[in-house]
Amino acid sequence: MSDVVIAGYVRSPFHPAYRGALAKVRPDDLAANTIRGLIDRTGVKADDIEDVVMGCAFPEGEQGFNIARLTVLLAGLPQSIGGITMNRFCGSSMSAIHYAAGQIAMGAGEVFIAAGVEAMSRVPMTGFNPMPHPELSKTSAAYVGMGDTAENLAKKYEIDRAAQEEFAVNSQQKAGAAMAKNAFKDEIVPYGDIDTDGTPRPDTTAEALAGLKLAFDENGTVTAGTASPLTDGASAVLVCSADYAAKNGLTVLAKIKSMAISGCAPEIMGIGPVEATKKALDRAGLSIDDIDIVELNEAFSSQSLACIADLGIPEEKINLDGGAIAIGHPLGATGARIVGKAAALLGREGKKYALATQCIGGGQGIATILEAA
Amino acid sequence: MSDTINKVCVIGAGTMGAGIAAQVANAGIPVLLLDIVPREGDNRSAIAEGAVKKMLKTSPAPFMNKRAAKLVETGNIEDDLGKVAECDWVVEAIIEKLDIKQDLYAKLEEVRKPGTAVSSNTSTIPLEQLTSGRSDQFRKDFLITHFFNPPRYMRLIEIVSGPHSDTDTVAKVTDFVDRQLGKTPVVAEDSPGFIANRIGTFWIQAAINSAIDMGVSVEDADAIGGKPMGIPKTGVFGLVDLIGLDLMPYLQKSLTDTLPKDDPYQAIARSEPLLEKLISEGYTGRKGKGGFYRMNKDGGKKVKEAIDLKSGEYAHAARPVSIRGSAAKGDLGKLISIPGPIGDYAWAVLGPTLAYSAMIVPEATKTVVGVDDAMKLGYNWKMGPFEMIDKIGAAALVTRLEESDIAVPELLKAVGDGSFYRVEDGKRQYFGTDGQYHDVERAEGVLLLEDIKLNSEPIIRNGSAALWDVGDGVACLEFTGKMNSLDVEVMKLIQKAIPIVSKDYKAMVVYNEGSNFSAGANLGLAIFAMNIAAWSEVEKLIRQGQKAYKALKYAPFPVVSAPSGLALGGGCEIVLNSDAVQAHAETYIGLVETGVGIIPGWGGCSEMIERWQNNPRHPNGPMPAVSKAFELISTATVAKSAAEARDHGFLRKHDQVTMNRDRLLHDAKEHALSMVEGYAPPKKPEFRLPGETGRAALKLAVDSFRKQGMATPHDVTVAEELAIVLTGGNTDMTEVVTEDQMLELEVAGFMRLARNPKSQARVEHMLETGKPLRN
Repeated sequence: MSDVVIAGYVRSPFHPAYRGALAKVRPDDLAANTIRGLIDRTGVKADDIEDVVMGCAFPEGEQGFNIARLTVLLAGLPQSIGGITMNRFCGSSMSAIHYAAGQIAMGAGEVFIAAGVEAMSRVPMTGFNPMPHPELSKTSAAYVGMGDTAENLAKKYEIDRAAQEEFAVNSQQKAGAAMAKNAFKDEIVPYGDIDTDGTPRPDTTAEALAGLKLAFDENGTVTAGTASPLTDGASAVLVCSADYAAKNGLTVLAKIKSMAISGCAPEIMGIGPVEATKKALDRAGLSIDDIDIVELNEAFSSQSLACIADLGIPEEKINLDGGAIAIGHPLGATGARIVGKAAALLGREGKKYALATQCIGGGQGIATILEAA
Repeated sequence: MSDTINKVCVIGAGTMGAGIAAQVANAGIPVLLLDIVPREGDNRSAIAEGAVKKMLKTSPAPFMNKRAAKLVETGNIEDDLGKVAECDWVVEAIIEKLDIKQDLYAKLEEVRKPGTAVSSNTSTIPLEQLTSGRSDQFRKDFLITHFFNPPRYMRLIEIVSGPHSDTDTVAKVTDFVDRQLGKTPVVAEDSPGFIANRIGTFWIQAAINSAIDMGVSVEDADAIGGKPMGIPKTGVFGLVDLIGLDLMPYLQKSLTDTLPKDDPYQAIARSEPLLEKLISEGYTGRKGKGGFYRMNKDGGKKVKEAIDLKSGEYAHAARPVSIRGSAAKGDLGKLISIPGPIGDYAWAVLGPTLAYSAMIVPEATKTVVGVDDAMKLGYNWKMGPFEMIDKIGAAALVTRLEESDIAVPELLKAVGDGSFYRVEDGKRQYFGTDGQYHDVERAEGVLLLEDIKLNSEPIIRNGSAALWDVGDGVACLEFTGKMNSLDVEVMKLIQKAIPIVSKDYKAMVVYNEGSNFSAGANLGLAIFAMNIAAWSEVEKLIRQGQKAYKALKYAPFPVVSAPSGLALGGGCEIVLNSDAVQAHAETYIGLVETGVGIIPGWGGCSEMIERWQNNPRHPNGPMPAVSKAFELISTATVAKSAAEARDHGFLRKHDQVTMNRDRLLHDAKEHALSMVEGYAPPKKPEFRLPGETGRAALKLAVDSFRKQGMATPHDVTVAEELAIVLTGGNTDMTEVVTEDQMLELEVAGFMRLARNPKSQARVEHMLETGKPLRN
């Protein structure tokens, strides 16, 4: 059986919800534009694509009606291409990649677009009609607020506010440096004349963050500055068999080495990456020390720091161009962004193994290990 | 020349200019705001842009909602003056320097379309000087429109035209500021300080002089010269702190420079060393380090201090003298006759001020009505000077003036034993300078209950409400209780009114002329019933209110509510239960029950859900409308304008807004009459609500607020009761909840909370302190 490879990665510019440049853009339009960009830049033959797998955390409203298929039509792609919308909250589009890889491994297709989108300006987090199960909501933390889980981890791992803020400032500075070097140019597909991110605040200082109000708990440590911002954005990755890529002259960024899903207690969902990463490492026959590049989704500083501590990842390997605290976290789009980014970084940095992993609301972790092409 | 004003240009983006531009935008009219190019920086329009940004953060807000700011186009007078050609009215509100204004007018003359009205907001420079050197056409189009600060909230505008002004142009601008900007135009003559500031400056000077000369403390001076005289409770010293001590010498100079040497103001104008010292040290009032009063925050606690007029030292503000009986409530004759310092000081302020007011008619304005309107609308006095004189009695005032060696003005002599106002044949009349009485004329489209009351009796009335015939087959429901609070009597009167209106009238408006439409139910009565555990009485009040409001809603005639000022709690709910609303632009509406630990009980809950479910721009499904209503009610949100009330869903698409307070009844009546033909009462709404699952979602939100420290423990209890009502109780999405079932849920939730001691503590605290208890 042929390997499954990542043969292209793009994303839209990321902008803060409500006040950003994408607030008035429909998610289906944004996703279609991004996918169109992926096809143009990779040069993949559209007719060969089996399916568009679209991750989306709140697939309703403008993100409803099976947005994956609608995106195919909006992007003017051949009618032969299918569309499936996948929801694993923040892990949605990483799951889209996993699904595509599985299909390819099964021989159920050779080329897939695994994408993700979230217009958080237009479909609120929790959706328009949050209707929790009354009993479950009383007896478990199934519906716990994400901020509360960040507070829980900060307490459990004794991560104080200053440490969280230092982490956030770091992320902002890395993103700022990357922007200054124009390092996002290759990955961003402009939407109209919007061609850069609106999310990063590279000039943020620890002092400025120290002045912010607590966002979730009046006795806590987490602020808006140490949480990823509500973001509008889309991402897309071309997933295909190594044979297909070779036959069609596609540029391979990385091959998928292993993948994993894990579950954990909902009230500390942020620790999800630890177990998922361990499982993926196990399957790859690697140890954490073998990993050169890590894309760890920064849902919150506290959550990221807890995972880094548990997994024992050296700081210099993490989120080289900044993470979600700076760049933003459009829920459904993040998974494909960090897998695509990890794959691209392997080439840029000339490294062997990369890990992309993230936590998922409700208590899950997801991880993907990549190997240089 | 355009007949209507479709676009306005305001030049000068200071407090006044920017505020005027904001009010034009509030009226929905595009406005160009220009200022000079700043000396530094690349942005040539930074001053005007900065003014708009600043206004978006100012409180009280110059804009009625943030969207209005988008109607303000900013620019600078060097690059953008040409755009004046697109405007139908140009308002100049730049620095009070004649040469600079004249330069600007010369430039304006080149770019504006002939016929475009041009007006100055000057408060000190005579019109003749302003237009000197200008073309005949410019003089024709020119007038003075003197706004008061802040332009959104002060209702007075003084209109001054010159001998060359075109009457049509003046009429066009006057009509615009009246109907569109909601101001009350008072025609003033081209004399120094016009009306309000001339009297106001004299009054402030008299009050400060007398306090210093007579050894009256600032606290006592304001206690005597404030509320008992029907003047805002800040009194004079508090007012000067508010407008800025540094403005005083400037106002003084502009009047002493322009008034004739024998004007009585020249005799009392003097510079006070204390005032000069305060200004030079930065004690310029509230905008500075403090003024006659200051808040001392040393030691962590805010302490109000007042200055000792003799020593110039601040000390803990003393409890002022207390004035008892009718003298405290507007009986000015009594007040000035109180033996000792209180009466003496009251007279020392009032006597000369009233005499001066009588002296400036007709020089400053032709009638006593103009003077009274100016002081009431420009300085927020409850009574104008001539209404005050009538309180004292003109003859008694003359006697006292003579005793005090104050010159008696001709007008006072002429009125003799009579009064300046009288009612003749049901019409209010005023005493003219010709020695005759004339009807007080109202502008076309102005209808006041106050006037109707002069020549008619109510159709029915009781202790808390009355029903009036306001003409053309329209009846008007007026609340008459203390602060227009709502009680069982109001509900009884509504029930009695419905068959009468059905039989003899075409429509009803709910309207009154209190400063507030209604701040809600009578809490005093409610807590009394709660304290004696008269639960059946409390429940009866709720049910009677529901019945009355729903009877209004489903009555066979249209009902239009016309709120102005506060419309809170039950006052909001009668508005929500009306077929339509004609709201004054300055309406502050909200369901604030949770603040006192209860929930809306007169249909407010289901009315809000219905409004949000019918909002085509709001997402569908069982939760969005419920969530929105929950957010608005649980946080006791009060809209800060009618425009904001629309954003919150208190007003619907077909509801209308009137900018001018005096036109509200007329507009409401017209609105109601327009609905008469083919009128059918609304159909009873049915709701599909989420039930328990919705409550689980709302609970998550409340818990999060609690964690963030934004909700108190009892807030959580109240929110849970509110959630039960709004989610339809034990319903399921597949079932229908009727309006009657919603009302039952309201009663049940209300009663559970009424019995809760923590809610009772909130009600009591509100009654005692006027502030919500955060238990």
